[in-house]
Amino acid sequence: MKFGKNASAVSQSVKAAGLSLASVLAVAAMPAIAQDAAASAVETAAAGSYTPMKPTEGVGMPVPEGLGLQTQYSKLGEYGAWIHNDVLLPIITVITLLVLVLLIVVMVRYNRRANPVPSKTSHNTLIEVIWTLVPVLILIGIAVPSIDLIAKQYKPAPKGSLTIKVTGNQWFWTYGYPDNGDFEVVSNMLNVPGQPTINNGVREVGSEPWDGPSHLEVDNRMVVPVGEPIRLQITASDVIHSFAVPSLWFKLDAVPGRINEKVMMIDKPGVYYGQCSELCGAKHGYMPIAIEALPRDKYDAWVLTHAGGTIDNPKASGTETDYLPGEEPAGAAPAADASAAPAAAAAE
Amino acid sequence: MATTAEHFQGHAEEHHHEHKPAFFARWFMSTNHKDIGTMYLIFAIIAGIIGGAFSGMMRIELAQPGIQYLDIFAKWFGAVNPDFNSTLHVWNVLITAHGLIMVFFMVMPAIIGGFGNWFVPIMIGAPDMAFPRMNNISFWLTVAGFCSLMISAFVPGGTGLGAGTGWTVYAPLSTTGSPGPAVDFGIFALHLAGAGSIMGAINFITTIFNMRAPGMTMHKMPLFVWSVLVTAFLLLLSLPVLAAAITMLLTDRNFGTTFFDPSGGGDPVLYQHLFWFFGHPEVYIMILPGFGIISQIISTFSKKPVFGYLGMAYAMVAIGVVGFIVWAHHMYATGLSVNTKMYFTAATMVIAVPTGIKIFSWIATMWGGSLEFKSPMVWAIGFIFLFTVGGVTGVVLANGGVDDVLHDTYYVVAHFHYVLSLGAVTALFAGFYYWFPKMSGKMHSEFLAHLHFWVFFVGVNMIFFPMHFLGLQGMPRRYPDYAEAYAYWNHFATVGYMIMAASLGIWFVNIIYAFAAGRKAEDNYWGEGATTLEWTLTSPPPYHQFETLPVIGETAHH
Amino acid sequence: MAEAINPVDRARQSNRKVAMVALSMALGMLGLGYASVPLYRIFCQVTGYGGTTKRVDAAQAAGIVDSGRTISVRFDANVARDMPWDFKPLQRTDTVSIGARDMALFWARNESDQTVTGTASFNVEPEQAAKYFNKIQCFCFTEQTLKPGEAVRMPVLYYIDPAILDDPDNKDVEEITLSYTFHVTSVGDAKALDQSKTGG
Repeated sequence: MKFGKNASAVSQSVKAAGLSLASVLAVAAMPAIAQDAAASAVETAAAGSYTPMKPTEGVGMPVPEGLGLQTQYSKLGEYGAWIHNDVLLPIITVITLLVLVLLIVVMVRYNRRANPVPSKTSHNTLIEVIWTLVPVLILIGIAVPSIDLIAKQYKPAPKGSLTIKVTGNQWFWTYGYPDNGDFEVVSNMLNVPGQPTINNGVREVGSEPWDGPSHLEVDNRMVVPVGEPIRLQITASDVIHSFAVPSLWFKLDAVPGRINEKVMMIDKPGVYYGQCSELCGAKHGYMPIAIEALPRDKYDAWVLTHAGGTIDNPKASGTETDYLPGEEPAGAAPAADASAAPAAAAAE
Repeated sequence: MATTAEHFQGHAEEHHHEHKPAFFARWFMSTNHKDIGTMYLIFAIIAGIIGGAFSGMMRIELAQPGIQYLDIFAKWFGAVNPDFNSTLHVWNVLITAHGLIMVFFMVMPAIIGGFGNWFVPIMIGAPDMAFPRMNNISFWLTVAGFCSLMISAFVPGGTGLGAGTGWTVYAPLSTTGSPGPAVDFGIFALHLAGAGSIMGAINFITTIFNMRAPGMTMHKMPLFVWSVLVTAFLLLLSLPVLAAAITMLLTDRNFGTTFFDPSGGGDPVLYQHLFWFFGHPEVYIMILPGFGIISQIISTFSKKPVFGYLGMAYAMVAIGVVGFIVWAHHMYATGLSVNTKMYFTAATMVIAVPTGIKIFSWIATMWGGSLEFKSPMVWAIGFIFLFTVGGVTGVVLANGGVDDVLHDTYYVVAHFHYVLSLGAVTALFAGFYYWFPKMSGKMHSEFLAHLHFWVFFVGVNMIFFPMHFLGLQGMPRRYPDYAEAYAYWNHFATVGYMIMAASLGIWFVNIIYAFAAGRKAEDNYWGEGATTLEWTLTSPPPYHQFETLPVIGETAHH
Repeated sequence: MAEAINPVDRARQSNRKVAMVALSMALGMLGLGYASVPLYRIFCQVTGYGGTTKRVDAAQAAGIVDSGRTISVRFDANVARDMPWDFKPLQRTDTVSIGARDMALFWARNESDQTVTGTASFNVEPEQAAKYFNKIQCFCFTEQTLKPGEAVRMPVLYYIDPAILDDPDNKDVEEITLSYTFHVTSVGDAKALDQSKTGG
């Protein structure tokens, strides 16, 4: 049990990473946390500092009495919104109005007073062919950009993209940063003044200057770098949840027992809100998502405020990154290892 | 057996006493398709009032942000000092019960059990259904299912009393996520109602294939009969898959199997595939008979045969067939592969073609006609418009890439309520006013029927049209509480609900008026445009109709 | 009543025939509903649908030729909510040669004071790469049992089929993620003793 004990001790020292390399860096980051907690005005990014960003009214959130889609802050979102606003919406509006106009014309021209003797026409091959073919052509017209959008949405992340892990839980989200030392952020909705307590020990919305709208703001946001593709890997620990951010055109289910992956890329720094979008039990309505997109340097500074947080420039990484350097067998596995029972590598 | 035999022998003897059994035997052991149809309609109205009340409770809670009434509702369901979780659980019970009741115990019993039972045998010139006693079992299984669902609301279901899984009963929320017997009772309710519906489907298929009067060929059948035939096949092929899926849920819950549990190699997404393999045909099950009713009404009040009869009939067949291969458009967010998503996007859009054929054929039926705006016609024209609105938003949602922002938002709620609450239910009211005097022998008030339509039309559009805005703005469905930005349109929708509820009051007054003071209905009170067989009978029809089978001539049209 | 030509009997017989055909259709669909569980599993295993990896034996693996091209593989570990294990990969990413065998190690420790047996579910993202991901040996093939406080390193021996290089669906894939989630199968199982023996 030597290995087991050793690992146990390490993992207790740093819960998030549990491993030696990470713990060294964690110690380095400790003062930064203390500074942040004291809310001092330290601006030295390298040391790790972070003040939550104040969201802009109407950006990344619903607007009162809003009628249409939220303004989009990603390339794919703009494309999707274009398909909806400039392709689909005009087409469906015209079709609906056409039906309405036809109904009105029929009611005016062919009511009993205007047309006492009904015709007996019940077939007209030409018109039947027309109203079969024209919709087919319209649908093909819709399908072209629509299929293109799907293809773009499924384009895998480029080499060296930052990976962030999202886990849905009843009823909060956790965000793991495996490329930054594997620390984890637990994100709870802020309580609403005058309403029953939703999350014990969490402050009320509006108690900090950077708080966004009630029902959407959380205690710890998911902070991401802006302007670079991020590989989001989404799973759940209990029941199915869904990670959805309307202003980023993003929705993907969090299914227990498997990960789902999708690329997210945000164009502008800002705070973008979303909500769980798959019924997950009593507090389904109270597990919002708040994403704060920061420039790379500020993102790195935020990372360093976490125990175990390490800067990992994804662009530079082509090399293997191990939690336990030297522990992995070099090269192809020897035959003896291959035939060993899974548990054979257990503690000596 | 005796009953069937008697019907067939009856016509040889030509005696006209009614053979009505005594009250208990007539209504509880009934084998008469008209009596069973009446019972289905009454049952659907009762279930509809309960399901509608649940939606009222939801709308009042949603009238403003925050939780105002759920703790009161929790106490109604028997919770003592509910904590916040069990208060919120009531919301999930309401959405679940509303969905299940409206789908399985209101629309289906009314449109298939009620109008189908009443008019399919009459329209094809049959004395009764093929299996009258199985018909009775179907009805009482539906009632038993409803009782099981009601019981589930009062027993523990995880975080509170009742099943709070949504009508889709997704695993693992419905398995490991909901301990307690409530979900079991809910599943059992679906088993019972499903078994009843499968029996009903077999009954309709046999009746329509085998019991048509001489000369009533398949291509002469009224479109309502066609619609019920297609619906019966959809029921027959889709409900067993639901039965299998929810039985596996039941064993996962109670007997340690892991069909949908990843801990034993199962996949929760497979449950969704199975559910929607049933669920998508199910939405056509609810709307196709409505299409049939609308076709009859449009033809009657245009005084014209239906335009493109064969196209109309086979458009329904096409919708039914394609309806089986589009299910995963309900699952765009589950992490489908790119090719799967593209396929389901394309396949789903195909449905718009036969649906468009139906819409345009109805308008073409009216074109050149001599329209009479009696109440059923007004409801039918309203249906065409509202169904179009619901249909075109379906084309938007069909796009897998656009669904990323609309899936599980109020846009979806708006879409399916436009095709169901404003589509199927509008068709139900159209059918009700069309046939109520035939069924009861009493004329309703045309004024009240028109008033009912206009108030209902304003109300439902106020409820559901703003939901498009809420959905586009990102408001997720199944939420009891929301951000301040969503308050305006939610409040607006709640006002709409009050107006819609008032219209139902007008409807009830109209029914009471008809029975209390309505004048006697003639055989064919709609006049020359009404040409199907029910108009050759008295109002109400004799207890046993067609003791001499009618012979359908060459000139008869649909 | 006449014998065979009675129209009532004939009608009833015919009705029964139609009803039986309809009933058998319904029963057939019921059967298909149940059959869908194994069919879906086979479908996923064959096509890689849902991110399902392939399982191969050493003999099959022996015939694969190293292509010399490399790809990045990422390893991801999760536990279900009721699973009291700490479970993580021992390498976050690994650059592997396509077609060459490679080994990844995962590490798990039972944090509870009871013996716990678990099974791992798994999938690969991006999904289209799954059918090229071949496991020769994996801790997910069998149940794993850990005594209280016991830690274990668990190997996965795998290779990526060079056929991936010819698949247009995979031309943009730069990194393949192999994800595992451990679930509780049983708590306090006696099987723990056997497992620890083989583990030495």
